[in-house]
Amino acid sequence: MLILATFLTSCSGVKQLSIFKEEVKRQELNLDKPTPLQLEQIKWIIITSENAAEVFKKMEEQGLDPVLFGLTDNDYQLIAKNFAQIRNQLKITNDILDKYKDYYEPKKEEKK
Amino acid sequence: MFGGIRLFFIGIIISAVIGAGAYVMKLQRDNVILKENAVKLESAISEQKQVIENQKKDFAEILEANKKITALVNNLKKDLDDLDKRFNKGERDIGKLAIERTGAIERIINKGSENAKRCIEIASGSPLTEQEKNATKKSEINPECPSIANPSYVPY
Repeated sequence: MLILATFLTSCSGVKQLSIFKEEVKRQELNLDKPTPLQLEQIKWIIITSENAAEVFKKMEEQGLDPVLFGLTDNDYQLIAKNFAQIRNQLKITNDILDKYKDYYEPKKEEKK
Repeated sequence: MFGGIRLFFIGIIISAVIGAGAYVMKLQRDNVILKENAVKLESAISEQKQVIENQKKDFAEILEANKKITALVNNLKKDLDDLDKRFNKGERDIGKLAIERTGAIERIINKGSENAKRCIEIASGSPLTEQEKNATKKSEINPECPSIANPSYVPY
């Protein structure tokens, strides 16, 4: 009887709840942002059939090789637009990177 | 015989008392555990509320970031369209203009190139100068990329 009572009272008890809530945060990546570009200024020379001789003469006077790498007016427009597109992409990519960093690695005071 | 029956009943009573005592003790232990569980559940509920609050904040942040990126993309697209318009405004032919006014167009192109160079530097993360930040007039802005170079400028 005693054994029976012990069995009845001890076998089906209330189980203690275990809640696992420990979160181990990933180490922050903290890569430095790339250094902003500092580009060299280039000089465009417009050469036409009329001023060609004058342009080459001036270049020789300035000690430059009398040679030019040319673009047509249409190709000039295209290269300008290409650079504008590259610039836009660079800006968008940089801003997206900043947003990701702000979101996933907020500064200490902003942390929740 | 009578003594044996009496011992048997005494045994039963003692067993019953011990069983009842053990049962009460078990109930007390269960009660303690239940109280602990209740505290844990309350704490879990409060933590869940905090998680929901944080999620709401995250959603707001995501929406805001999306809005800003969309605005940036639109502004940059407008800069690109403006560049296209500058080359082809009306019947404008930059080739013909360059033949007719070679020196002036050369100066304009070199100035534009300088501005475009600065735009790329800004896009790569170069900080804006005070002059760029405060520019509000057309004559003060960088016409190649006002949306990123001149935050105070409102097109008019």
